[in-house]
Amino acid sequence: MTSIIETERLTRRYGRTEAVRELTLAVPEGSIFAFVGPNGAGKTTTIKTLMNILEPSSGRASVLGVDSRKLGPDQLRQVGYVSENQELPAWMTLAQLTAYLAPLYPTWDAAFAEQLRRQLDLPPDRKLRDFSRGMRMKAALLASLAYRPRLLVLDEPFAGLDALIRYEVITGILELSEQASWSVFISSHDIHEVERLADWVGIINEGRLHLAEPVPSLLGRFRQAEVSFPEGAALPARLPADWLNTETAGHMLRFVDAGASGTADDEARIRAALPGASNVALTPMTLEAIFVTLARRFRQPAPVGDGQ
Amino acid sequence: MLPFSLVFKPGASVHEQVVFAVKKACVAGQLLPGDPFPSVRALSQELRINPNTAHKVVATLVNEGLLEVRPGIGTSIARAPAATRAQRRALLQEETERLVVEARKLSLDLQEVIDAVHERWRKLDGGR
Repeated sequence: MTSIIETERLTRRYGRTEAVRELTLAVPEGSIFAFVGPNGAGKTTTIKTLMNILEPSSGRASVLGVDSRKLGPDQLRQVGYVSENQELPAWMTLAQLTAYLAPLYPTWDAAFAEQLRRQLDLPPDRKLRDFSRGMRMKAALLASLAYRPRLLVLDEPFAGLDALIRYEVITGILELSEQASWSVFISSHDIHEVERLADWVGIINEGRLHLAEPVPSLLGRFRQAEVSFPEGAALPARLPADWLNTETAGHMLRFVDAGASGTADDEARIRAALPGASNVALTPMTLEAIFVTLARRFRQPAPVGDGQ
Repeated sequence: MLPFSLVFKPGASVHEQVVFAVKKACVAGQLLPGDPFPSVRALSQELRINPNTAHKVVATLVNEGLLEVRPGIGTSIARAPAATRAQRRALLQEETERLVVEARKLSLDLQEVIDAVHERWRKLDGGR
């Protein structure tokens, strides 16, 4: 499996602040990779370093097999990039913008651009300054899809957009799937929108990458557990380290089992750790619920002796 | 529009959920032998799922003999055998398990569940 994006101990400092710390990541070609983390986690800094807008302070990154510091027109013509606050020339109409961009990209596909324009419901002849926030996002997406990039990089594409526009944006992204080679790297602080779309997910917090793995494997590792106890049973003083967000309510212990296998072993393991348990219920979690669990965990200091 | 309906449930794999929805539509007669089946792209766009997942769904259904690929024409529901009684029962099992689990969570007893099923059954008959 080749990687369309690779970073090795990528670090970026602003003064003394480390926005990205030793980030090592591989995005497989052909994947839709969701890069999620709370606001301020280092997502935009990572992306700007990948796009050669920022230089790494240390470590390295490569995009389409080329060191990010050496990215030039040859690579950038194969990369569609929409930044968080994408600026568009306000005095142009969409038709003027596409006419201006088309000659810059050998692979520009005018028929595809027109198809996207209709799908995204954008007027060709109004000035971009009169576009709403959502329309601007769609126009920026159109401008980076129309040359059929091998890699699409979107920084927070859904932030502040209403449901219909989010829907249209995803439809636009999926238009690329007809191509032989295409990969998407989407950053978001809200995993919900990319839940079924992504096949890989990476979670970043405070500049550090906490995990990067295929979605099915992540979904398999987490289970919401509810264990009930008979009257008077005592809980062990120490619970396993991979039980997150433990809460007790009445005769019930609730936690997230982060070491699940998705098989019957999970229940057996829990019963072994809690010999008094009368009932054990394990339910699969959504990607969003897993992300919230981890984000809450990031906010709390790790308990002493946790081994982390 | 897709010729089968599906509301995603949290947790279970998207691939399994789509395959199950298609099988259910076949068994229930919503999809008939020879009916055209949506392309990978249509599946991905309509359900807003990863195209690789959509591709895997079609591959699974072809493998299990539910879909036929006719080069140049597209994919359609297989003309081959209609679902046997055993197949139907296998499909029902998953739904039954869900019902039983939910009922036990609510501490209903078996008779209450059976009564509820009876009532629902009669209602559907009356609606025809």
